[in-house]
Amino acid sequence: MEEVFVPAVGMAMDNVVLLEWLKNPGDQVTAGDVIAIIETDKTTMDLTCETSGTLGAHRYAINSEVPAGQTIAVVLAPGESE
Amino acid sequence: MTTDSKWGKETLRQMLLIRNFEETADKLTLRGKVPGGMHNSSGQEAVAVGVMSALDPKDVIATTHRSHHHTIAKGMPVNIVMAELFTKATGCSGGRGASMHLADVENGHFGGNGIVGAGVGIAMGAAVGIKQMGHKKVAVGFVGDGGVNTGRTWEAVNMAVIYKLPLIIIVDNNQYAVETFVERVTGGNDIAKRGAGFGLPSFTIDGQDVEEVHKYTLEARNRALAGEGPTFINALTYRYYGHNVGEKGQYRTQEEIADWRSHRDPIDRFSAKLISEGALTQADYEAMINSVAKEIEEAVDFAEKSPLPDVSTILDGVDSGLLGASK
Ligand SMILES: Cc1ncc(C[n+]2csc(CCOP(=O)(O)OP(=O)(O)O)c2C)c(N)n1
Ligand SMILES: [Mg+2]
Repeated sequence: MEEVFVPAVGMAMDNVVLLEWLKNPGDQVTAGDVIAIIETDKTTMDLTCETSGTLGAHRYAINSEVPAGQTIAVVLAPGESE
Repeated sequence: MTTDSKWGKETLRQMLLIRNFEETADKLTLRGKVPGGMHNSSGQEAVAVGVMSALDPKDVIATTHRSHHHTIAKGMPVNIVMAELFTKATGCSGGRGASMHLADVENGHFGGNGIVGAGVGIAMGAAVGIKQMGHKKVAVGFVGDGGVNTGRTWEAVNMAVIYKLPLIIIVDNNQYAVETFVERVTGGNDIAKRGAGFGLPSFTIDGQDVEEVHKYTLEARNRALAGEGPTFINALTYRYYGHNVGEKGQYRTQEEIADWRSHRDPIDRFSAKLISEGALTQADYEAMINSVAKEIEEAVDFAEKSPLPDVSTILDGVDSGLLGASK
């Protein structure tokens, strides 16, 4: 199981806003796919997955704030559950 | 030259410990556990371990913003280093310093710092003290390939030469200063020649060969102890990750990184040498990798469980105590 999370990249990055989900729960995703788009205080950023599998639940709604470091969804390998 | 088996194993273990520490800390930084910026030294282990294994525990070092590898090789327990990255009270700087201000003055670690090019000057000052007091030890100042373009570095080198100070200058030359390739910004394109211009023994060495780094440092240390003054060592190495954690760099190719990793990796090279000489078995090596992973896991656990500094201690360490701010 891979956790797709908001990376804490700035020196002092706080919350980000989840702008858009590009994949839905149950979708088959491939490594490198953009899962969601977030907006930081400086820029927008694509969140990609590193593994292939089935996307789990959306853990945040569109336009909600997500703290840096938090997981927004997981990618499940065959046979795995959330 | 065959390697002493005991020294070889300890040296290899140190490099593995640093690599695992950095890769673990990198992930934790992305998760928001490490405030204030973090510079990963993966790829540069042989410079740190080669130098430190040639020193005596009482020798002094002063380092840079990229200092985890120097600090661990100098002997600071990994749980204390990790706790400082997490800014916890149990860290070496009481959680005030984070990644860039690791220090342990009592054990000869005069600190990392955020000022590019400051390490050599700090070590040079320590070397003045060592000489004045007639101590039998040396000081080592680390600087990056970017830092060698700062004036303060060369003022310190010059002072060390004219006063014949027991100083060793190590350029942890990882080829880049943030996004800038060393050759683009180094006039004359020969850092060791620059050193030689100040009139001290000056070498460019293979910083991915831990034994070479060890040998040159040992010889420099012996010269310093014999009263012959400082030595300048430009150690060629490479950092595998971005300048700071989370960097999305577009300034070098993936092929370049892969080439350094696959052909010159200091851990792969040294482990292969030890195994081919019979100093280490494959099983020993795997056991070593596992024990290192366990040690780092415990360090993370220690850091996670440690408390943040108490607010009531906020003035501790602000002054020497004379003004009554510190306890
Ligand atoms: C005096 C000063 N100038 C600029 C900076 C910003 N800065 C931080 S690290 C860095 C690059 C340093 O490169 P190098 O000396 O090669 O060390 P490395 O990061 O490669 O270990 C710069 C320019 C700084 N911290 N201090
Ligand atoms: Mg550099």
